[in-house]
Amino acid sequence: MKILLISAHPVETSFNAAIQKTAIAALTRAGHQVDHLDLYAENFNPVLSREERLGYHEIPANRGPVAPYVDRLMAAEGIVFVFPTWCYGLPAILKGWFDRVLLPGVSFNLGEDGIARPALTHIKRVIGISTYGRPWWVATFLVGNPPKKQIMRYFRLLTAGRAKMNWLAHYDMNRATDKTRGDFLAKIDRTLGGVR
Amino acid sequence: MKFLLVYAHPRTDSFCHALKEKVTATLAKSGHAVDVLDLYAEGFQPAMSAEERGRYHDEKSNLDGIERYAAQLTAAEGLIFVYPTWWYGLPAILKGWFDRVWAPGVVFEINGGVIKPLLTGVKSIHVVTTMGAPWWFAWMMGHPGRMFLRMGVKRMCGPGCRFVWRAHDRMDSSTPESRAAFLAKVERVFAKIT
Repeated sequence: MKILLISAHPVETSFNAAIQKTAIAALTRAGHQVDHLDLYAENFNPVLSREERLGYHEIPANRGPVAPYVDRLMAAEGIVFVFPTWCYGLPAILKGWFDRVLLPGVSFNLGEDGIARPALTHIKRVIGISTYGRPWWVATFLVGNPPKKQIMRYFRLLTAGRAKMNWLAHYDMNRATDKTRGDFLAKIDRTLGGVR
Repeated sequence: MKFLLVYAHPRTDSFCHALKEKVTATLAKSGHAVDVLDLYAEGFQPAMSAEERGRYHDEKSNLDGIERYAAQLTAAEGLIFVYPTWWYGLPAILKGWFDRVWAPGVVFEINGGVIKPLLTGVKSIHVVTTMGAPWWFAWMMGHPGRMFLRMGVKRMCGPGCRFVWRAHDRMDSSTPESRAAFLAKVERVFAKIT
């Protein structure tokens, strides 16, 4: 499978970088082709501009400003997100990828009846991997786990429920140990190594 | 009261812009002070850099370069957010303002793993937003933007902080009448603030 792996952490020595390496190695071992989109390394601009907003509904011209990113998404059969949860959500650089790249005509089509229909049905597998500073009960019970919903619910919708989905999270990073981090990397290796 | 209004829309001819103008004019009429932070006009950079991430937990240096934004925030007694809901959440430029400015030492302190809120002077949070989807669909998607502001942000404010949410949904099928009615509703909400 062709897999687009999107990562969003600025620091090369972070635990997130270790997760990316583990994920790419496991996917490659399982025979997949990985296209790594490192948003920070590629200096992705997350701000939807005035011009983009003006032309947002103009299909296909709306792809113009982000064409390479759209092409990479359309070529993918699987998609993996690796990111730290900041302020209970996606880092701004990743939220900006949603704002700018998941355009009408790319991720959904508006029918003449005004109803949006999913357009990412070529994606068969979606995996979200995130690290949280706070314990899972704060993220989940108190705040409703926005980043998990932003990956799982949006992509279940955009793939018309056809993609197999996984969510892998290391909560409570503020109190993480070598053991919890090692266990988490092992889990990523197992899950991504098992992608068929 | 002293308000900080954080605004995020790229177009000055947008409905969000009209909402922002309505809010500021209404509050000014009742004698409130409103500090408007227009993130697009400022060219705010939302992606936290590697260098900034490195000193995020160091309260002596984590505000270097963003002192002004932090000072604005700590001076506020009321917070107002005016933005379009994109993908059921905040536009990236606004999410980045939270990522970068809602830092340890400004908004919270961590002592032995326990988070202590520091924005105890904030008595109210008002959100004025527009969204394309119907409101019930936003709930089906988990309403990430609202949940973040209602639960995450409010926790960092004073006890008993009010949370007021006003959203014009189904924007794609909005009419001049629906928009005028929403503007009037927003005006009533803000005119009531004493």
